[in-house]
Amino acid sequence: MSYVAIKGGGCAIAGAAAVTEYLRTEQGLAGGAGGPLQIEAILHQLRHLVDRVVSEGGVYHPQFAALAIKQSLGDTLEAAFALRAWRSTRPRLTATPPLDTSRMRLIRRISSAFKEIPGGQMLGPTQDYALRLLRLELMDESPEAFRAMARTWLESCPEARLPDTFPKVLDALRMEGLLPPITATLGETPFDITREPLIFPVARSAALATMSRAETGSLLAIAYSNMRGYGDVHPTVAELRVGYLPVLLPHPVTGELTEAGEVLMTECEVVAMFEPAVAGGKPVFTIGYGACFGHNEVKAISMAILDRALQKGMQDGPANPSEDPEFVLLHVDGVDSMGFASHYKMPHYVTFQSDLDRLRTTQQKSGDLA
Amino acid sequence: MNLKRKNWIRALTAHPAPALNALADRLTAGCEIALTSLPQAGLGLLTLTDGAFHEPYYLGEFPLSTCRVELALPDGRRAEGGAQVMADDAELARSLAILEAILAARLPGWEQVSAHVESGAFQRSEENRRRCAMLAATRVDFALLGNTEEDGDED
Repeated sequence: MSYVAIKGGGCAIAGAAAVTEYLRTEQGLAGGAGGPLQIEAILHQLRHLVDRVVSEGGVYHPQFAALAIKQSLGDTLEAAFALRAWRSTRPRLTATPPLDTSRMRLIRRISSAFKEIPGGQMLGPTQDYALRLLRLELMDESPEAFRAMARTWLESCPEARLPDTFPKVLDALRMEGLLPPITATLGETPFDITREPLIFPVARSAALATMSRAETGSLLAIAYSNMRGYGDVHPTVAELRVGYLPVLLPHPVTGELTEAGEVLMTECEVVAMFEPAVAGGKPVFTIGYGACFGHNEVKAISMAILDRALQKGMQDGPANPSEDPEFVLLHVDGVDSMGFASHYKMPHYVTFQSDLDRLRTTQQKSGDLA
Repeated sequence: MNLKRKNWIRALTAHPAPALNALADRLTAGCEIALTSLPQAGLGLLTLTDGAFHEPYYLGEFPLSTCRVELALPDGRRAEGGAQVMADDAELARSLAILEAILAARLPGWEQVSAHVESGAFQRSEENRRRCAMLAATRVDFALLGNTEEDGDED
């Protein structure tokens, strides 16, 4: 690959930025109706977009994710890039102790493995059962109707006494001896993908961290290849949960674990095909795990499938792309892949000139031979 | 107020940061404030235990501000406070550490801090109530077709 330094174009580049800003603000020309998009409006009304950017940016900062969405005109890849650029300017102060997701304050919890699970299934906010039809009434939604909708729901919602936390479905299966044993050892330090390059083979903690901040579509595409037949995970969702995880850190004075805040996250645990007994043991189900910042169920499910596929690939050798750690983990990052695709727009004059020269020479030689 | 110290920050942060900063400034007018750990804004790394094999891994980062202070009153009384808060706001961490110290040592003005903790805790409980309502309103009891007396009826 050959690059060439160029000069000039400064005015055009400044002009391109100004044109983009013009497009962002041109609605204001229409008169009083067109105001700037408020960060709070993005946070609330485009919440899945914000969730996607915090997850793919790898930083749980919903306000800055909303700002990044605003400045990038809704481009999730650019927004995640801006969020990562911001994080690179901040010092790392500390790491939490390993937090247990059974402490999540849930807003949704379902299982496709069992009708009845301890604590019950709660659909929470979901469009799973909604008709995929356009709601044309939202085309001209009045502020009054908008406000009334939330108020009416709040006034009609039932008083509920529910536990603060719910048990995990996997724990119940494990107690019955249907799952593989817990492999973690105390004090194990996870792999930090923001500080160390991926050199294969990588630890499972590196794979999980990479997939947690992967681009949703990339993760889904590779998981989908496994679902359609380039693989044989055949998952059942033991539990899918969405909720707020308290972020606990030792108190600076007392040392007691204290809540510094909370993050909205999605977590999925899948049970897959069982494995034959290994020496002295019983056959058990295989399992996969996925989790990400924000409410993004497709991403968590895809990650859980790929976690299982990668475990299989690492154990038996990859039989298809979704089981190959190098293939999966090096191709799912949105900022990396977007950067590579975008770089093709940059001047490649020397590279292409070289290609032209070689083609002309080859054509000439072919002509001479003919 | 029955809330334990470990829950004060969550309760206090239910209030807007400018209100907490103003309260901390007001209550420390006659105090000497020593920063035993400088107010700092940066990132924390979130370590999770995965649900399948209980292995630790990093889910991602979050904005974090920290501070630790020691307050000294003219009468010789002293108090230590500290805060780690999920925010990109070192000033807020400093204010929270001050308010924490005042409340922990019952320094003058602690009643105002206590009132803020209580009202903040109430706001948090309202938030929890709304989340519980989302669960309660959508609790589902799936039944296999043919196993109920009146299939098609909604319970």
